[in-house]
Amino acid sequence: MKTSKLTDEQLVKIIREKDKELYSEIIKRYQTKLSHYLKKFIYDSDELEDVLQMVFIKSYRNLYGFDIHKKFSSWIYRIAHNEAINHLKKNSKGQISLEEVEYKIIDEKINLHEEIDRNLLKEKIDKLLTNVNLKYREPLILFYFEQKSYQEISDILRIPKSTVGTFIKRGKEILLNLCQKI
Amino acid sequence: MSKNLEQKIMSQIKTGKIKLRSKYIFLAEKLGLNSALVLTVILAVLFFSLVLFYIRATDNLEYLSFGKDGLLAFLESFPYLLVVSFILFLFLAGFIITKTNWSYKKPFKYFAVSLIVFVLIVGTVVAWTDISERIEEQAFGNHALGKFFRPFINRGIESRNRGMTGKIYEIDSDYLILETPRGFEKISLLKLLCPDKSINCQDQFEIGQFIIAVGKREDNIFIADKIQIASEERFPPMIRRGIHRQFSPFLNNYLFDNHSTNTLPLPLHLLNFDEPTNKCLAQCFQDKIHPRECFEKCVE
Repeated sequence: MKTSKLTDEQLVKIIREKDKELYSEIIKRYQTKLSHYLKKFIYDSDELEDVLQMVFIKSYRNLYGFDIHKKFSSWIYRIAHNEAINHLKKNSKGQISLEEVEYKIIDEKINLHEEIDRNLLKEKIDKLLTNVNLKYREPLILFYFEQKSYQEISDILRIPKSTVGTFIKRGKEILLNLCQKI
Repeated sequence: MSKNLEQKIMSQIKTGKIKLRSKYIFLAEKLGLNSALVLTVILAVLFFSLVLFYIRATDNLEYLSFGKDGLLAFLESFPYLLVVSFILFLFLAGFIITKTNWSYKKPFKYFAVSLIVFVLIVGTVVAWTDISERIEEQAFGNHALGKFFRPFINRGIESRNRGMTGKIYEIDSDYLILETPRGFEKISLLKLLCPDKSINCQDQFEIGQFIIAVGKREDNIFIADKIQIASEERFPPMIRRGIHRQFSPFLNNYLFDNHSTNTLPLPLHLLNFDEPTNKCLAQCFQDKIHPRECFEKCVE
């Protein structure tokens, strides 16, 4: 059986009941995604690796706590979110560093270029996003950069779906206000 | 980093350093949380029904019919412990809801409102069944479950400093002897404010009548300011049942017949007078003299 054809949920079922070594496939599937997500909260690469390792260890230990009728990605993102919050409580220094593709997303989807010069935006947006309250920053990141749906964000952050929409809207407003102040 | 991290984690899994937590732990957590939620909601319902039952079955609300004179007695007899417990269980249920896996799907205010509405409706329905009365019965019996509820229910029949309810057993020119859930008690009429000045206050009373009084307790005597005579239907049922529990063993004996040869000794815990009066009464009862004569002889 080719593991690559299995869904996350099917894979988890097999890991729990038959083959623990298949957990490496989960790591392969999520390492880059979670690393990308955690970079928005953890700025030091060594610390990021430690947190990421903790996410995979906690996820493995608690595999029986996952309901296979739900979405695994939301579940593991939830663990990553908790670990990121724990990390931020201990260490809040630093600044987000965005990737090229993310600048493009901000440029196209958040439409900040009307408020600010494109070059200046690229220069400042990392800092501005870092200054957005975590409560609004997280839904923004999950929606725009991780391309999660409202339902998935609701499951990851444990907030009502309607609140996700409100937070994203509010987050954008805050970001726009910060842009205007530049 | 990628290969390295994968290898690091997998080697820990293979060597058994990192293990899966047992599925039974998660099952127990889930069951425990759900059971705790169900239990706290049941207790919130039960305590709310007991609050309603208490207000309906005790003298608490009756004191308000005296107007502002009855306010202190009302406040004194209010079921604070029941109300506080009810609120605590409600908060606890709300707190447990926030810990469940599904509570985030809707704003908490929806769950809070639903919980409150559910508890109030079901609690009101339960209050009109005989469940509360059974709890009262068990609370004053020797049942294990009843003992848990006793501290909450007992307040309904406790002695009060500002109010008094009972059944008249003996009438004198300036006092009444009442049967109460705590035994016999003396109620002084010396400061009684009579609405009808043309008759003596005590003339309106009859043996066997139920009365509700407000005033002030001084040592073992309750000094009444105002007294209302209550019909048996209006008289608080928990107090009526309390009197019945205390005095029923003597119902067919000398307490209610004039002279019976088949007498039961009157338990001393039923005497709530000062020490010399209690001693005098105890001796009098031992001599098999009718209690009414004993009261005449011993109570000043």
